[in-house]
Amino acid sequence: MSASDPARRPMRRTIRGGRPYFFDDPAIDKILNMVVVLGSEVWTLRERLAALEAIQVRQGSLASGELDAHDFSTEDEARLAGERKEFIDSLFRVLQVQVEEPRTQPVKAKAKPKAKPKGKTARRPTSAAKGRKTRR
Amino acid sequence: MLDLKHELKLDKTRDEKARMNFVSGLRAHVLNDMASGMRAVWDAEVEPAFRRSRGRRPKDGPEVHAALKPNECFKFYSSLRVTTQDLVWQSVFPALERNRGALKEKAARLSRSSQSRSGKTRGTLALRPGFQVPRSVSALDVHLMAGNYDGEYEEGDLAAGSLYDNGLAVFSFGLMGQNLDDIGQSIAGFIKLKFPKLKPAKILDLGCTIGHNTGSWKDHFPAAEVHGIDVAAPCLRYAHARAQAQDRELHFHQMDAEALDFPDASFDVVFSSMFLHEVPRKGIERILAEAHRVLKPGGLMLHMELPPNSQLSPYDAFYLDWDGAYNNEPFYKPFRDLKPEDICRRAGFAPEKYLQFVIPSVGWYGEKVWREAAERPPSVDSDKTGRLTDGILWYCFGAFK
Repeated sequence: MSASDPARRPMRRTIRGGRPYFFDDPAIDKILNMVVVLGSEVWTLRERLAALEAIQVRQGSLASGELDAHDFSTEDEARLAGERKEFIDSLFRVLQVQVEEPRTQPVKAKAKPKAKPKGKTARRPTSAAKGRKTRR
Repeated sequence: MLDLKHELKLDKTRDEKARMNFVSGLRAHVLNDMASGMRAVWDAEVEPAFRRSRGRRPKDGPEVHAALKPNECFKFYSSLRVTTQDLVWQSVFPALERNRGALKEKAARLSRSSQSRSGKTRGTLALRPGFQVPRSVSALDVHLMAGNYDGEYEEGDLAAGSLYDNGLAVFSFGLMGQNLDDIGQSIAGFIKLKFPKLKPAKILDLGCTIGHNTGSWKDHFPAAEVHGIDVAAPCLRYAHARAQAQDRELHFHQMDAEALDFPDASFDVVFSSMFLHEVPRKGIERILAEAHRVLKPGGLMLHMELPPNSQLSPYDAFYLDWDGAYNNEPFYKPFRDLKPEDICRRAGFAPEKYLQFVIPSVGWYGEKVWREAAERPPSVDSDKTGRLTDGILWYCFGAFK
């Protein structure tokens, strides 16, 4: 397999004429796109792992079903639990920002009334109301 | 995922194959499962609400579209479909970019006829330096295919053809057959069964892109001289090399179907597939007139196309026109609003010589059902006609000269 030739002009990967958006806020379409790409990478990892497992079984270094029957040692289990926590934290980091901001930002007398009361609940439409909303 | 079976197929890593598998699977999910779900929501909620507020049923596709547009299921279906469409091509780019040099070398080798797979193929390629690609093709990326069919990045480029071939394999999730020629195989074979007296000496395929359906005519009518034309040079270069790799003697020309460079009365069959709906209305009329001109008396013009709106239910009309609204295919709905019998008549074909068929996909239904359809073709008004979904039925129309 040859590497791509740096002298070659790369093919254009953006769509001339753009892509359409369907949700009231195009950001939702974009996030959905990201979710799908992530899904694609998750699937890619699963296929790669399945290939690896099949090769190992074929070569005799892994017995069929051995992977499913495997239990981690207490030590490994504890390490993985820590890593899992970090993984989940990082996944929801974006939500944590809102929680941590008031603690880290120096409190300004002026900013207070703006930031708090409206922000969290009042502005967000309920899911039922959202469903009824039509596009502009 | 369907993998190409010819020499021009790209060398892909395990991960690249997996990404393509994922996109293919997602397309099948969106077009089978989510599409059925959207139909169920339409029947259970949206259509009854429309009737309550308007006191009647929706009369056409645009009314169905307008009623469904605010619904969440339409938004998810559409947004995912667009995303998946983009990913079809994006899933090919990394392997294609890496393989471009090798692809060009392989194509160059295959294009020397003495070195085709059997050494027997004598297919030809005729490109026109300085050829102006019509704006209807060059102005935007049709099918959201970045770079479009005519995009060239270097001298003698054929990468766009490879993008289309490999992308189509992902896109079709098996519904276009192992060689992406189910349309050609289903239709050319059907015509041979239906009209046993037709012994074409020369066949022309209009807007053939990579010639994936052109070859089927050679398979079913091996004695015929088969030509394919297109405006996009990278696709034609690829088509030629692909035909050589598959040992099919085909002749490709860079030519605009609206102004053919062939003499009057020189072909027995003029065919196109999935082509007219990408052309502006005026162009369609000119193409049909040209087809009439180059056909010999008694010759057959046949276009495999999307079924006309006039022959479908409002919901199915909306469903097919989705591509026109959201897949960078601006001429799609205007084409589907035309009546095929009218455009054939205006091109000079006698009304009594008009014909149309619905042909079951030979790959999906198998030979038995497909053969039976030559006796009793299914009706046009079905949610399988022209729709890329399990159980697809191909629609075509045309006329004898």
